Order: sequence, then C-alpha cells, then structure tokens
Amino acid sequence: MADVSRPAELRVQTLEGGPGVTILLVAGELDVSTARGLESAVDEACGAQPSELLFDLSELRFMDSAGIAVLLGASRRVPSVRLRDPSQAVRRVLEMTGLTQVLPFAE
Amino acid sequence: MESGEAAIADAEEIPGAGRDPKDEQAGGPDPDPVSGGDFTETGTRSPWRLSRPALLTLALGLFITAALAVAALELYKHNEKRLLRLRARELSLVLRTAVPTLQTPLASGAELADATGGSARKFKEFMDPLVGRGRQFTSVSLWPAEAEPPAPKVVVGARPTLEARPSEARRLFAEAKQSGQLVLTALLPGANPELGYAYAAPSSHGGFVVYAENPLPANRHSALAENTGFGDLNYALYLGRSHRHGDLLVTNITHFPIKGRQASTVVPFGKGAFTLVVTPARTLGGTFFKDLPWMIVIVGVLVSMTAAALTERIVRRRADAERLAVVLDRVASENRQMYTQQRGIAQTLQHALLPEALPYVPGLAISASYVPAAAGIDVGGDWYDVVPCGEDRALLLIGDVSGHGLRAATTMASLRHAALAYASEDPSPAAVLSKLSNFVNSSSPDYFATMLCVLVDVPEHRASVASAGHLPPVLLAAGQARLLEFEPDVAIGVTGDWQYRQTEVAIPPQATLIAYTDGLVERRGEPLDDGFERLRRAAAEGPPQLDQLVASLAREVPGDEQDDDTAILGIQWLT
Repeated sequence: MADVSRPAELRVQTLEGGPGVTILLVAGELDVSTARGLESAVDEACGAQPSELLFDLSELRFMDSAGIAVLLGASRRVPSVRLRDPSQAVRRVLEMTGLTQVLPFAE
Repeated sequence: MESGEAAIADAEEIPGAGRDPKDEQAGGPDPDPVSGGDFTETGTRSPWRLSRPALLTLALGLFITAALAVAALELYKHNEKRLLRLRARELSLVLRTAVPTLQTPLASGAELADATGGSARKFKEFMDPLVGRGRQFTSVSLWPAEAEPPAPKVVVGARPTLEARPSEARRLFAEAKQSGQLVLTALLPGANPELGYAYAAPSSHGGFVVYAENPLPANRHSALAENTGFGDLNYALYLGRSHRHGDLLVTNITHFPIKGRQASTVVPFGKGAFTLVVTPARTLGGTFFKDLPWMIVIVGVLVSMTAAALTERIVRRRADAERLAVVLDRVASENRQMYTQQRGIAQTLQHALLPEALPYVPGLAISASYVPAAAGIDVGGDWYDVVPCGEDRALLLIGDVSGHGLRAATTMASLRHAALAYASEDPSPAAVLSKLSNFVNSSSPDYFATMLCVLVDVPEHRASVASAGHLPPVLLAAGQARLLEFEPDVAIGVTGDWQYRQTEVAIPPQATLIAYTDGLVERRGEPLDDGFERLRRAAAEGPPQLDQLVASLAREVPGDEQDDDTAILGIQWLT
C-alpha cells in the first residue's frame, strides 16, 4: 500500500536513441503531482524536433490520468510516439484509457 | 460626475463578485499601513537619524565612559597627591641631612676656639679650606659670646653682614648659647640677601660663638639637578614656618603664588626650621595613569558609537523585516483572496454547467453527485448529462477534460454543448463520440477529454456503450457488481476522424449502472485495479436505493487529500 502522505517521486532521464529518436526513461510515479516534471522533459526533448519519442516505462511504478494526458500531449507534437516495457499496472491504465490504440508499444 | 462614480463603483465590484463575505472581512478593510511608498522611504531615510534604542545605547555608553574616565581621573589625582606627599617627605629628609654638614664644622670651630683661648691662627687654619668662592661658606667668623657690642674676633673670608646689626647678633648668640644647637638668622637684607648660621659651644666661661654666612643664590633661584632624583619636582624653600614670599630662600619655581597641586612639610633645622613646598614638575605616577582617563574617553566613545551603530542596524533590519512581513502578509492575503475568487468563479461556472435537475425517464431512477477537489484552484473539467431520447431511451454522458481550473471548466462547457447538439441529431454513442472527435480536432485544442456515452433502452433492458478513453462503468445486478469492460477508444482530442465503436450490453432486471470519473478510483501510488476492486465492493455492499448508493460512493472519495474532482452518475432500472 502506497504511503499517500509521501510526495510522489518521478525521475526522467533523456537519452539519445539513434537518428531522430529520443528516449525518455521515466521512473517512479507519474501522477497529478509529478506530471509537470515529465511535461517539461517532453518540452525539452521536442526542442530537438525528433522524429520519434520513445517512452521507456520499465521503471514506472504508477501512472494515472494526469500521466495519460502528458503522453497524449507528446503524441501530438512528435510524428511518432512509442511506449516501451510498461509494468502490468501501467499497461492496465494504458489499456483502460484506449491509449494503446494510438501509442504503439515498441519491442 | 454621477455616472463616472457609478462606473468606478461597478468596476470595483467585479473582482469581488465571487468573493466570500468572510474573505472580504479578512482582506478587504485593510488599514493599509504599508504601501510601496514605505519601502522607498526606508531607502531614503537619513542615515544619521538614530532610532531611540540606538540613542539610548549611545547615551548609556557615553555615560559609562564618562563615569569611568572621572573615576580614573580621581584615582590619578589621588595617587599623584599621595606620591607628592611622599616626595616632599623624602626631600625634607635629604635637607635635614644638611644640618650636620653645616653644624659640624661650626661646632668644631667653636670647640677649637674654646680650647685654644680664641687663637685666631688656629681658627683661621681650621676654617680656611671651608671658606671662599665655591666652598661651603662665604664668611666664617669667631665672636666672643659676651662682647659688647658684639664684634667678631676673627673673620675668615668676607666681612659678616651681621657686624652691622648688633641687636640681631645679640639675639642670635643668646639663642645659640641657650639651645646649644645651630641657630639661623632671619634673612639679612642686602644686594644679595644672606642667611647666617651661628653655633655656640657649651662652656662654663664666656666662650665663643662661630658664625657663618652664605648668600642666597641669585634671584633665590636654583634648579634641582636632574640626577638628585628629585627632577620631577618643583620646590620652594622658606625660612621658618612661613610661606611668605619674603622668607623665600631658594626655589626653582618662576611664578608665584604657587598654584595647583602642592605639598608642604616643615624641615627642622637646628634650632630653627624651613618650610618646604613642592609641586610636581611632571606626573609622578607614570604617564600611563595620567593618560588613562583620555584612553578611556577615546575607547569608550568609539565603543559607544560602534554599539549605537550596531543597535541602529539591528533596529533597522528588524523594522525592515517587520515591514516586509506586513507586505508579505498582505500579498499572501491578496493571493488567498484572488485564489478564493477564481476558485469561486470556476466552481460557480462548473455548477452552472452541470444539469440543475436530472430529467425524468420512465422506468428509470437517475442520481448524480459531484465532489469537488479538496483544495486548490483545481476545479476539474468533470461533467455529466442525461438526455431523454423519446419515450423509452436516454443517453448518459459523462466526461473529464484534462487540466483544471477555469480553462478546463470552459472547455468542458463547449464539449458538453456540442455533445448535446450531436445527441439530438443521432443519439448513438459511437456517432456522438466520432462527431465530437471531429469537432474538437478542427478547433485544434490543447486538451483531451475522456468520455463515456451510454444509450439505454429502458424497456428492452439494453445499453449501447462507447468510450473515449474513459474508465469502464460498473454494472450492479442481484447483489453482484462487475466492471463493464470492453476495449475503449482513444480520448477526444488525440486524433481527428476517429471512428468510435460501441458495444451492446444486456441489462438484467433492476440492475444499476454506475458511471464515474477517475477521481473515484484513482489513488496516488495505487494500482488502478485496486481502485476498481474497491469501487466494485463498495457498489455491491452499498445501500440498494440509488440515491443512497450514489451518496455512499461519493463519501468514499477521500476528502482531505483528493486532488481531482469526481463525478458519479448512476441509473437504476425500476423493473
């Protein structure tokens, strides 16, 4: 059971993933209190006008609808947005919100 | 004039429109002791005008300095006085040792004369080395004690001045005989006043008196040699016990009368005496003690000024801090007020946009609840609608616009009205969502909205469900609750021209369908399925009556840490 009094923690790391591909390593918890952190990382990544943004979600423990909004926002600014390796809980949220239909998973 | 005033009054009314009267009281009639002007005033305040604490510090410091300086000065004076007395006594002791050096040769001369019957030759032989320029005496003479008129029998050196003063000689010799000690004349006036000493040897027959004279130094002035150890003194030596200037024998003081600190002592000299008056030529106790009061004054004044400056600095800093605190307070209160206003406006707007009353649909109970976020300006973009479609059908709409605040509320308004318009054309859920998706995409939004559309056919116990990324509704029938799961389509605003799908669901008799927004199931750090499970159990175990059930679910929303708002819309088949 998560400790609600503790502020959620989010770490985002930006990596170069080949020509035109920027990888965002998203770790921790992505919710209404941390979504802004990912948003600014996306803003920064979009500055280089990549052809693809790859969100690596393997270290992301939790995501809610605020996180969905950030991913959707990114999908509108970059030609291709893909998600990689979400945990079961995160995958569930992606499915429940229909996101998997527009944001494909990367192998 | 009148209209102008009215306009101003109107303009002032606007910001307070949504304001809570309580806030009005807290932030409104601000006495406004602080304005921007006070800050600039601080900057230009004269640096030399001291505050009261600084003045007090300075005054106290100066007072202590003065007291210490006076004490040091008194101590110095007292010490100097004591030292001066000691020095006077020492000098008098030195003078006293001069008695034997005068008396011894005179007494010896007298004895010699007595023994030799007044032999002039012997007397001269004896006295010659002592008399003359630069020697002990200028004149020594031997006088028969009883001779009348008094006249010297032998004179060595200059003629004695006493010869011309027989009465003085008589008095002097009588005194000398009687006392057997060295006796002194009064000052013998002349071009160069002289002092005479007489000694009479004790004798049974007439006997002799030896008399010697010495002139006083020119102007009676004689400095004390530095090496005598008395160089730090000025002195005046008087004959007898008098301080009269006429009796002054010798001194190194040029200005009379003597002023300032002085000590006097009587120096016994044979039968007579001298009076010694000394004054310090310089400080006796060392320069440190002399300078100490001044040092105290200088250091004290510096310390006082520094302390006053520090005090002033502290006082000013504190005053600045207080001023700043008041300003910050004021800013905070204004912020609070503004925030409350905005929140008030957004809430008012949202409430205005939610249906005032839910419609009547035959065979259906309908209930809804809206739980605002606990704190913050975060009025969400949650909404719901129920649209009757003919006799038997009704379209349920529930949605959630991403983001919060006024913007989300206004977005929600436009979406809601568009949805109502599309529903009147064709209430099929997939059609409504597809058209909305088109509508939103053409206006190039920077938001998303999840939406759930459910078209229910009441008598047929059927529902068509379409979801734009919205969380699935809960179907409650015969005490069993389950999520009405199907694959949702993307949220509105993600991509245009999306063809939404709808799913047909059979509804058991007296079933309840609960649609909701994410605030009901999402908890920070908790997997979504845990939230679903909690909702499922709460629905299954809740009260059977719809209004009560919706209310009990609304109470499940944690009040104090909820950072999203929540809408709940429930319908229940009556048959």
